Order: sequence, then C-alpha cells, then structure tokens
Amino acid sequence: MKSINIKRFAVVAILLGMIGFAFAPAADKIVVKGSDTLVILAQKWAEVYMKSNPSVAIQVTGGGSGVGISALINGATDIANASRKMKQTEKEKLKARYNTLGVEVACAKDGITIYLNPANKVTELSIDQLSKIFKGEIKNWKQVGGADADIKLYGRENSSGTYVFFQENVVKGDYAPSCQTLPGTAAVVNAVKKDPNAIGYGGAAYAEGIEICKVKKDDKSKGCIPTAETIKTGEYPITRYLYMYLRNKPTGAMKSYIDWILSPEGQKLVVEMGYFPVK
Amino acid sequence: MKKFTLIALLLVSGLIFKAHAQEATTNEKLSEVNDKVNGLTERIATDEADLQKLTKIKISGYIQGQYQMTSSPLLDAGSNNYFSIRRARVKFTYEATDGIKFVLQPDFAPGALSIKDAYAVLNDRWTKSFSLWMGKFNRPNYEVEYSSSQREVVERSLVIRTLYPGERAIGAKLEYNPTTLPLHVQLAMFNGADGLTINDRAGANINPNENKDFDNFKDVMARATYNISLGSFGGLDLGAHGYWGQMKAYNTTTLKSDYTTTEAIKFGDPIKRHWIGGEFQLFADVLGGMSLKGEYIAGMNGTTGFSGVPAGTDPVKNPAIPGVANYQNNFAGYYLYFIKNLGKKNQFAFRYDYYDPNTDITGADVAIKKYSPTDPMLKSKTSGQSDLATTTFDFALHHYFDDNLRITLDYAVVQNEKVGTPGKVVNNVNDAHGNPVVVDWSNAINQNVLTLRIQAKF
Repeated sequence: MKSINIKRFAVVAILLGMIGFAFAPAADKIVVKGSDTLVILAQKWAEVYMKSNPSVAIQVTGGGSGVGISALINGATDIANASRKMKQTEKEKLKARYNTLGVEVACAKDGITIYLNPANKVTELSIDQLSKIFKGEIKNWKQVGGADADIKLYGRENSSGTYVFFQENVVKGDYAPSCQTLPGTAAVVNAVKKDPNAIGYGGAAYAEGIEICKVKKDDKSKGCIPTAETIKTGEYPITRYLYMYLRNKPTGAMKSYIDWILSPEGQKLVVEMGYFPVK
Repeated sequence: MKKFTLIALLLVSGLIFKAHAQEATTNEKLSEVNDKVNGLTERIATDEADLQKLTKIKISGYIQGQYQMTSSPLLDAGSNNYFSIRRARVKFTYEATDGIKFVLQPDFAPGALSIKDAYAVLNDRWTKSFSLWMGKFNRPNYEVEYSSSQREVVERSLVIRTLYPGERAIGAKLEYNPTTLPLHVQLAMFNGADGLTINDRAGANINPNENKDFDNFKDVMARATYNISLGSFGGLDLGAHGYWGQMKAYNTTTLKSDYTTTEAIKFGDPIKRHWIGGEFQLFADVLGGMSLKGEYIAGMNGTTGFSGVPAGTDPVKNPAIPGVANYQNNFAGYYLYFIKNLGKKNQFAFRYDYYDPNTDITGADVAIKKYSPTDPMLKSKTSGQSDLATTTFDFALHHYFDDNLRITLDYAVVQNEKVGTPGKVVNNVNDAHGNPVVVDWSNAINQNVLTLRIQAKF
C-alpha cells in the first residue's frame, strides 16, 4: 500500500466532520421526551409557546424519566424531562458520547401525592408507615387505623423517575412484589378510583377523583397535603424538583424556549396545570 | 271476557317467565364472563410475575467488523489488507435482588472464543456505598475500563496494552462510591500474571492456565477518581492508580534495565513490578462538546528468567544450557486525547501516545549496552528492539447513524525510536508477496495502520 499522506488524511477527516456538522438538524425543531409526571405540563408549555412562536415546532412525548434520559444520550431527543436527578451512570454515558456533563434545568416543583380511594377511612400516614406499606410489611388497613381489608398497592414502572424518587426517599428498600406497576400516573389514579382498598402515588397534578392522603414526616409531625404553601415551606415531606436535561448549553430557539419556561409566563402555566413553581 | 282475561294472564305470565328466564340467562352469562375475567386476571398476574423475573436479566453486546490496511513489513505477515471481526460480545447481566449482580460476557470473535467477564457483585445495602466484586473483570484503570465500544480511537494506547494485556484479570475488588461525594475508589487484588506470556528455557509458556495463578504472589491495584464540577463550562475528573505486583523468580540473578546493574536474589523470591499513574479528563461544553483526556504512568516492570542447566557427564549428549536472568525495566508512558463532537452525529478524535519500555537507555545505546561479565547467564543479554520507545499519532472520525450503529475511519501513524548504529538491530522478514525484507531499526519503520470499522451495539 502506498503510504498515506497524514496531512491530507487529517484535512479530509476534518472536512468530512464539518460536512456532518453542517447537516446537523435545524435548531427550531425541538423534541421533548421523558417524565410522564411532567408530560401534561410540557405539552401545555409547547402548545402555548408555539402559538406565539409559530416558526418553532415542539414535539412532546412521555415514556418515563429513564426513557427520556436514554433518548437524550442516544440523540433521539433535545430535552429529556425527568422527575428525578440524572444518575452518575447516565452522566458517564453522556460524557462518553457527547463529551459534556449535560445541563440541568429545574423547571417546576412537585409533591409526590399519596392517592387513596374516597371510601377509605384512613386520611393520614407517616413516611415510616408508607415505607412499610409499600415494602409489604404492613398488609392490612386496620394496622394503620383503617378497615379490616388487605391493602392493594399500585405504583409506576421502574423506568419512571417517580418510581425511583419514591423508592429512594420513602420506601428505602425494595417494593413489595404485590405492588402492581402501571404505565403512567393516570393509570395509577384510575386504579385507586376503582378499588376502595387501593393506595398509589404520583404527581400532584393528576390527583382528581381520589382522596389525597395527608403525609407526616414522623409520628410527632402534623400531616399535610401538597399545596403551594406546604411545598414552598418544605412542610410537605415528599417534595421534589422536576427537571429538564439538555446535552449542551442551550442556544438559539432552544434557549428562548427554556428562558420562556422559567419566565413568569411559563411559571404561571406551572400553577395552572396543578404543579408548583420553582421559586 | 273471561277468555280474554285468561289469554291476557297467560301472555303476562309468559312475559314474566320469559323475563325471568332472560334474567337467569344474563346472570349466568355475567357469572361466566366474571369467571373468565378472574381467570385472565390470574393468568396475567402469573405472566407478570414471570416477566418480572425476566426483567432482571439484561442482555447487551456489540460487534465490530473491520477492514484494515497496513504498509508495515512487520505487520504484513502474508497479508497487508484484510477483513476481521475484532469483537463479537454478548453481555448477560442478572440482577438477582437490589444488592446482587452477576455478569457473564463471552467473546465470540472467530478463533478467539473466550470469556471476557465473569463476576459477581455484592452491593452493600446499608450505606449503599460499597460493593465487592469477585471473578474476572477489568483492571482498575481509565483506558482499561473504558469500553472499546465507546473509545474514540480503535485501539488502547501502547502503554496500557503492555501493562494490562487482555484488560481483565481474575481476583477480587472492593469499590467505594459514597453517595454524598463525587469520589470513586477501587482496591483490587489479582493473581497478577493474567495475560502475560512467561517463557521457560524451551520457549514454552509457563503461565498457560489463565484460571490459576502461576505463583503464590498476589498483585494489588488501587484507583481513585474525583469529579470536579466546573459549572456551566463542564467538569474535570482527576485520578490516580497504582500497581504493586510480584512475580516468582526462577533465577538467582536479576538484570536491571541499564544493562549494567544486577541484583542477587533467591530462587522463588519476588521480582517486583510496580508503577503509578495520574490521569485527568476535562469535559467542556464548548461548541457542542469537547474533551481532553490524558494519563501518565511510570514505574518498574519485570519478568522472571529461568535457571541454567549444568552439563551432564557426557557434555556432547547433555550440554550445559545457559539460564536467563530475571529482568526488571524502568518504563514510562502516557497518552493524550482530544475529542470534538461535530454536530449530533459526528465526532473527531486525535490521540498522541508514547511508550518507552526502558527509560534507562536511549536508542543510541541500544545494541551497545551489554552486560559483559563472564557469567554465561548474562553475557548474551544485550539491549535490543524491546527497549525502543514508540510514538503513535492516531486520527479518527466517527459517524453515528443512531444509538446502535457507528462507523469509524481511523489512521494510526506509528513511529519508532531509532537505533544509533545502522545494522545493529535488524529483523529479517518476508513481505506480503513472500519477498525477504530486512528491517533496520536505525531507520523509521513504517507501521502505520488504516482501519475502517463498523460497530453495531445493542
């Protein structure tokens, strides 16, 4: 083989790279994917923003926080919505593929709400009781002051950020095998609506047609439900931020969209949709 | 009238009977449907339980098919361009419970079927910070642990390939990943001779069983890394690793890499092999993402020799066989990567890597530095090709079709340290056409390699 001229090779390689760069997707189409908890808010943001910015196309889908972050890593989405923080393993994958650590944008707050059927006599539970219920150590409602009936557990799939957050901050162990996993918070709410002995968890914005259980940090604390006030003061014990993750610092249309989400106009929609503002 | 009343009564009773009969039929049907739904619910619950078990098994893997061209007389070996399968790996991971993981990774590359990973991990369930590994797994080092499915040039740097042949080793490892600090600490113990070829006087490998240690000495490795956030600019990972190993001596003399100093040791005593390295990885969110990564490693490597055999009573039939001294060499090596993303689909990478297997002598000394005492075991020991440093410039361009498919064009420019005196160190080889070629190491030897690789990952 004739020896290859290194300079020529390097020039060709860089030119090819630049051509690839030139064909990068147009920035005014924004793909958003991830958290089911955030999806109704993300859809509302997109809908309102596109009305006032018709040149920008925003496509929003759910699938779960884990699915959104995977899509961000493999280039299938521009924004990953997540109801949990990005894991170290996911950051490593982003580093390896894009040489960045990602950009985290806290866009709203949420109180993980405990859903009960309105027929249930129980109205208040402590974090410890919730942990034991979802671990399967408390199996009957009468153990927490309710009727003599088996507790039916409903939760999210393990690709859900809510599943991970609730496990790490409330359950603090493995979920009971009897906990039925459902695809989406709406499905959890529906299951609880139909079953008087059911308990489920999910975002506050989905809490319709069910009874919201008061939650207390421990036996000495006062129980409360997630409201703007209890979330802001930190009184409600299962409070979390909701995030948008990007590969790089936003520029152009993406930056304008993110800035708008964090503006008073975008944060007003947060409240309207049943979530809580960042500040 | 009576007749009419009777007919009406009969009709009404008939309708009531029919309604009752319909109600009974509906109830029966409802009950039947209810039973079916209950049966289906039970079946779904059973299927879900089975599915739940299956979700604990994760299967991933990758295949790298490639075409390579070289103009090197040393690498030709009958063919200077060829297709090959570099990797054909499937990784099975089974997470039995939250705290236990099993990993098995065979490599199905033709002619090289082997088990690359086979280990169990026990995670501490209380602090969630410690994990204990046992089996065969990657040695703790940045480039070793960085999968070739992600690596930005086609091969690891020469210093890493030399120190950690095959990347994996059999042993145990304790990992510490505190939940509150961006710190990662690994402490491992291995058999130590994994992947090394240690020849006896007949040229046979005395370390052929990769599943068993060839001596009683164990090697210790440690690596610690710390991630520093640089805010919106990016992040910097800093780390260091060290290797403290020993190998059983099969000779009572150890020759040092200056080819002047010797050390007397007892047969069976340890020949020390130890080195330390420092590493960094800088990730910058600049113009779509770029990184700089580097590592410097220096220390002393070593290998065992073998004893001589005295002549028998009939020196013609049983002549004396000279032994070969144990050998210890001071070495140094480093690499530096520059990686730049070009949009979402393309990436450019450049790596400079350098490895000097013997820092005690230069190319000008090679083949001149020679131990001269009368000891037959040492007098033939002369510095040579294995003491020369190598520099590699590697350019690569990747195109990611999607998450699963990557195409790579890579050109490695390999440059050798030159021997001072022409004709002092030569290799007589045949080129791809079978023609004899004399490779004189006083010149720059062309060892460049062009690689076109397609990688499918799942």
